[in-house]
Amino acid sequence: MANKSKKWSNIYLIFVFILMYAPIFYLIFYSFNKGDFMADFSGFSWRHYIDMFADTRLMQILVNTFIVALLSALIATLIGLFGALGIYNTKQNNTKNILLSLNNILMVSPDVIIGASFLIFFTMVGLKLGFGSVVLAHIAFSIPIVVLMVLPKLNEMNPALVDAARDLGANNYQVLSRVILPYAWPGILSGFFMAITYSLDDFAVTFFVTGNGFSTLSVEIYSRARQGIDLSINALSALMFLLSLILVIIYYFISNYSSKGSKKKRGARMVVHQ
Amino acid sequence: MNRNRTFSYTIPYYLWLGLFVIAPVILLVIQSFGNLSGHFTLNNYATYFSSGTYLRMTFNSVFFAFIVTGITLLISYPMAYIMSRLKHAQFWLLLVILPTWVNLLLKAYAFIGLFSKTGTVNNFLTLIGVGPHQLMFTNLSFLIVAAYIEIPFMIMPIFNSLIELDKSYINAARDLGATSWQTLTKVIFPMSMGGVKAGIQAVFIPTLSLFMITRLIGGNRVITLGTAIEEHFLVTQNWGMGSTIGVILIVAMGLTMFLTRDRKKKGARHGK
Amino acid sequence: MAQPIIEFKNVAKQYDDNIVLKSVDLEIEAGKFYTLLGPSGSGKTTILRLIAGFLEATSGDILFEGQRINDLPPEKRRVNTVFQNYALFPNMNVFDNVAFGMSIKGKKKSDIKAKVAEMLTLVKLKGYEDREISELSGGQQQRVAIARALANDPEVLLLDEPLSALDYKLRKDMQYELREIQKRLGITFIFVTHDQEEALAMSDWIFVTNEGEIVQNGTPVDIYDAPINHFVADFIGESNILSGVMRQDYLVSFAGKEFENVDGGMRPNEPVEVVLRPEDLDLVSVDDGKLVVTIDYQSFRGDYYEITAHDDDQNYWKIQATNPAVTGERRGLFFDPEDIHIMRLDESEEDFDARMEEYEDSEEDVQHES
Repeated sequence: MANKSKKWSNIYLIFVFILMYAPIFYLIFYSFNKGDFMADFSGFSWRHYIDMFADTRLMQILVNTFIVALLSALIATLIGLFGALGIYNTKQNNTKNILLSLNNILMVSPDVIIGASFLIFFTMVGLKLGFGSVVLAHIAFSIPIVVLMVLPKLNEMNPALVDAARDLGANNYQVLSRVILPYAWPGILSGFFMAITYSLDDFAVTFFVTGNGFSTLSVEIYSRARQGIDLSINALSALMFLLSLILVIIYYFISNYSSKGSKKKRGARMVVHQ
Repeated sequence: MNRNRTFSYTIPYYLWLGLFVIAPVILLVIQSFGNLSGHFTLNNYATYFSSGTYLRMTFNSVFFAFIVTGITLLISYPMAYIMSRLKHAQFWLLLVILPTWVNLLLKAYAFIGLFSKTGTVNNFLTLIGVGPHQLMFTNLSFLIVAAYIEIPFMIMPIFNSLIELDKSYINAARDLGATSWQTLTKVIFPMSMGGVKAGIQAVFIPTLSLFMITRLIGGNRVITLGTAIEEHFLVTQNWGMGSTIGVILIVAMGLTMFLTRDRKKKGARHGK
Repeated sequence: MAQPIIEFKNVAKQYDDNIVLKSVDLEIEAGKFYTLLGPSGSGKTTILRLIAGFLEATSGDILFEGQRINDLPPEKRRVNTVFQNYALFPNMNVFDNVAFGMSIKGKKKSDIKAKVAEMLTLVKLKGYEDREISELSGGQQQRVAIARALANDPEVLLLDEPLSALDYKLRKDMQYELREIQKRLGITFIFVTHDQEEALAMSDWIFVTNEGEIVQNGTPVDIYDAPINHFVADFIGESNILSGVMRQDYLVSFAGKEFENVDGGMRPNEPVEVVLRPEDLDLVSVDDGKLVVTIDYQSFRGDYYEITAHDDDQNYWKIQATNPAVTGERRGLFFDPEDIHIMRLDESEEDFDARMEEYEDSEEDVQHES
């Protein structure tokens, strides 16, 4: 009886995983197609990869996308870290809760709302749409995730550690650099990686605030996909999948490292949102 | 400890809160009361509530979001439950998270290939003698793709609530004579309600606002609130009306959060 | 008398309306082992944190060698703390933890190394420099925490219930070792605990705290033998507390009878409380007893039997005896006049001390006479 239900549950597990991965591998598979469509595999070829790398516009956009991702993640991590420290140091519970709720507004807001309201905001202050507005927008929507990654680390830290450091003669800066930051480091790294992912993944917000001259990968894929199948996009997706895989592996090691002491909440820290 | 220092290093964060969280929302609300030339008016709301098109669109959007949420919940709960009882649960969770790191557009794009007239699914349908069918630009294709994209976001919170559930509750239930089915329905499911609610929030609200999928897969047949906002902002340039629908979407979001809020924990268990 | 190293003058601490410390005065002399003893929430940890500088006093003066240090931040005080859960930095190994204070001060590498080795030897963890904190047992972490605090050469070491997380046997060993370390280094230790046994075993001087006040201070023997009030008598050691009436000096009445005792200085017929320690009571034959009791219950405690009995006035008695008794049997209860300790209701510590001084002398006279 137990064995039978175990068998069924394994079948179900495998079935759902196949559903989840089939479209991705389907994309990757056809990137090696000699033909021009995502059907009728007519033979193996690197042709679409060559096309992709020869496509200077696509390559430029790829570079743009990564610059935006790294830059915005870096700045968002810094601001978010200081924000988390600020919230952590807030003594009054009411103020703390208000800050946390405000922090989470962008986490729960639909992308279109963020995109539309940022568009209004940028237009009102007279910011030219393009690289700057995209980076600002990406920083803005990445900050809350950094806070949410760093804050639990700070909260789980024994407050006596700060007392102990001061007791042993450390000043404010030394307490921060020698005790708090090393302790929160895994959370900071997770926040940074999540911010990169958010940035790479974003389509809707960028689509609203990007204007005409500047494009990121998501926006480019969208406009190409509306025109039909283009197998260099498949090649690109294979590349992106590989990259995601590497990021996940890095992330896995970070979170493993961070939970060496407290094994419990590893998964819980991967905050769920699009 | 040192008030001035605390203040200075948090300035960027508070600036962000003011400029990118509070200001944009206020601007959106203000904009919703403006007409094309920027004067105050209630016309946008009047138009919205008197127009059959807008109301039908809103109803459709909510209806489809409901169905998508239902489908993902049905698939995800057993999945999360099975995963939570496996040995390397965290590894399986990573496998669930991995697809979310693949660009949304790429996933939607995959379905264009799968569902197109000469695509793989139609080839298969022809092979077993029931096809080909028009798959692209149908309600069904929208539902499938939306559900596909949202499934990981439903699995994750449910999984987390199940993995945090103390195993001794299950042992206690079994010890007191509950069958495994009774344990599931009377102990495990109620105790994982928090995760289910979080999952519903994480799926329902984004589905209301998905617009790229309706554009790419739904072929404008299913207009969601998100699509309407995009259309008004970027195509017809009627920001006032777009903002009005945005406000409606925010209200819908608030309502969803309110309905799925956690009634039990009044800050007690919420260590965050 | 030498100048006290730490002095509290009318120190109070309150959060909003919540008073955690009411006007406390205390004096700590250099080189002794002090204990702040009290139940949780009695203010003992607050006193410790005020000395360390983690809390600011609402009012009053805290003096260190005669200098007011109320506004001195913790890093500038020549005081170090061993924290309740050790608060060892998890991202550093044993060496880096012990070296933390010195590296903050920018000491020379070679000096740091020598000092760390010295400190680890002191706490019997020689050779543990490269261990990670997570690899250590609770007892070892405790030792590292002590070494880390001592490596800073504090004048005063504060210990915040450092032994509470250890098991019984390890706790006993650590009590002995802490006392040894204190004696060897000759610095002042201020130890916080709620465990009266620990306090009695280790201290030169005990401050008993309750509800934000120091209710009594003295040597362990003083406090055990002459508790000032019901709370102290009950909190420290086992006791039988009965209400009685002081007929005149050296004559007290309780349990329906009058007894000769060694206390005095009260009004005639003043209502008092009478304390008798269970180990001072002996079970004898009914004829030899000062009171007659009926044995209710007994339990074996290893080195003695704890016996519960009641007298004819329905007072319950706890008795510690080396020999077992028989449940339901009627036995005599015997105690000496000096085993009876009298507590006046609501007596201040000053009055109590003055009265004790006066009657302790005459107590000796009484004994000489008899």
